[in-house]
Amino acid sequence: MMAPASTGRKLDPLAFLALPGLIFMALVFLGPLLLMLWSSIYGAEGFTVSGYARVLGDDYYIKVIGQTLQLALITTVGALILGYPAAFALARAKGWRQVVLFALVFLPLTVSIIVKSFGWGIVLRRDGILNWLMLNLGLIERPIRMIFTEFALYAGMINVFLPFMVLPIYSVVRMMDPRLPDAAATLGASPWFRFTRVTLPLSLPGVVAGVSIVFSLAVAAYVTPSLLMGDRYMTMSMVMAKAFLNLRDWQLGAAMAAVLLTLAVVVVIGAAILQRRLGTAKGS
Amino acid sequence: MQPDYLVVSGADKRFGAATVLRDLSLSVAQGEFVSLLGPSGCGKTTLLRCIAGLLHPDRGRITVGGRDITALAAHQRNVGVVFQNYALFPHLTVAENIAFGLRARGISKAEAEPRVAEALALVRMEAHGEKPVTALSGGQQQRVAVARALVVRPSLLLLDEPFSALDRKLRETMQVELKQLLREVGITAIFVTHDQEEALVVSDRVAVMNAGQIEQLTDPVTLYHAPTSLYVLDFVGQSTKLSGKVLGSRDGMIEVQTGFGVLRASASFMAGSSVAVAVRPEAMVLAPETDAALNTLQGRISDISFLGSRTQIHLDAPAETEDRVILELSRLPAGLTTGQEVSFGFRITDTMAFPA
Repeated sequence: MMAPASTGRKLDPLAFLALPGLIFMALVFLGPLLLMLWSSIYGAEGFTVSGYARVLGDDYYIKVIGQTLQLALITTVGALILGYPAAFALARAKGWRQVVLFALVFLPLTVSIIVKSFGWGIVLRRDGILNWLMLNLGLIERPIRMIFTEFALYAGMINVFLPFMVLPIYSVVRMMDPRLPDAAATLGASPWFRFTRVTLPLSLPGVVAGVSIVFSLAVAAYVTPSLLMGDRYMTMSMVMAKAFLNLRDWQLGAAMAAVLLTLAVVVVIGAAILQRRLGTAKGS
Repeated sequence: MQPDYLVVSGADKRFGAATVLRDLSLSVAQGEFVSLLGPSGCGKTTLLRCIAGLLHPDRGRITVGGRDITALAAHQRNVGVVFQNYALFPHLTVAENIAFGLRARGISKAEAEPRVAEALALVRMEAHGEKPVTALSGGQQQRVAVARALVVRPSLLLLDEPFSALDRKLRETMQVELKQLLREVGITAIFVTHDQEEALVVSDRVAVMNAGQIEQLTDPVTLYHAPTSLYVLDFVGQSTKLSGKVLGSRDGMIEVQTGFGVLRASASFMAGSSVAVAVRPEAMVLAPETDAALNTLQGRISDISFLGSRTQIHLDAPAETEDRVILELSRLPAGLTTGQEVSFGFRITDTMAFPA
């Protein structure tokens, strides 16, 4: 199995299995990505940074970037708060209970994001299900405006991205030895001490993965913010779409895309570094 | 030494429809080593978890040193546990694992340090404190698990199949080593095991468990030589069993007709009742001299198996019976061949009789 030491840096034959995927990604992702970065600095008048100057210099675009980050952050934190205990329930459930919980978490993934976002619209409308329910229960006297509010946006975003938080945490928790908290208890550790010193650190790789995935998806979200908030809450993706489709301002769109990419990459790499630092040379 | 240090009284535990412990009572003296021995599903691990506080019995009381701990949660009990496969914290070093219980009690890192060092020395792991526990061998992991449990000075130590993860050779060394270590510390220890040999080696008394109850609780020698039931006999050690009918009974002695002849045993059964007679292999001798203290029977050699340190001789009965006798000899007499008729015997005092 092992290559002889004398052959030095010979490639593992298994590496070739990744080749088709690598070629595909290079053609459909890396190529267009480089083209996009190129068009963010090269326009009709030759080399220019005017796209970046507008994106990073204009108060309006700074506000959009801030709103996008806020939305991504709230979505990520919300999904973490709801998803973390759900992942434990999923990992510890047995038999048909686990099947049901799995279905509850992952069936929504099979519903198109557009359908889901429109669905939220129906639920939250002035004459929607939620208002109807609360009116009939006597909780409110007149319909509340929920659609096109930030609450609606956060609820919809968390709903869409929750499974991407649950899955990585679940897969880490499932591998965790359930006797470790028991062992901690017999050593005199209170429930809080057990959670903060055993359960949480051991589940951290899943949390970091979930946070990375949900944040990078949420920061780039387009459909859900457009359908639930429209122009009232501009995100970077919406600015990009406008720039490319309406304004035909490729430099603006490309520069915004480059900033978005940078933000997502920084968060993902930061999370990976954090995880490595927290697990320094301990554990497997 | 307090005679009733750990007392479990009238413990019941059910999981759904299954009763795992039924009206179980157990009393252990301070400093005593007791094994809970039984097959899987007999309730031994459930009993251990109830004593540790990881489970709570549906009924019954548990006291340690006179203090009722029945209602306390595991972290309030000060009962140490060495888990099967040790359950060491994989994200912590050896020293951090051992310090865990001290830190959980609010002891500062600096104060914990000398006690951790002391515990490391106790299990001869001084050189490994900074290693991740995942880098340790099975035997080293066991030592860390023991040190981690002992460093907080628990009132009681529970060990759940502590040797099952070790290979056979290492297991035997560790059994003796751990026994000596725990004696030195002077702690009261409960071992859970399904390995009868391990139970005999490590404990002062063995509790053989069957279907949620303790079938017999006594010292290893009595358990081996005077089991009170066929269940205990079968679970502890090897034996030859012969089925027979009681011919007569007098002065606490019975005469039993077996396929290999008539034998006597000290027991009281009604004439005509069916019994199972059992003898340990090492109690049997081949071609004994006539002796009133011996049961002497006849058989025909069906097989001779050489096993190195000993030789097994399998005997068929002259009469119609399913029973087989297996003798173990340390040295094989010359000229013994299969098909030969031989006599064999064992002391009447080594003959055990049970209702069949």
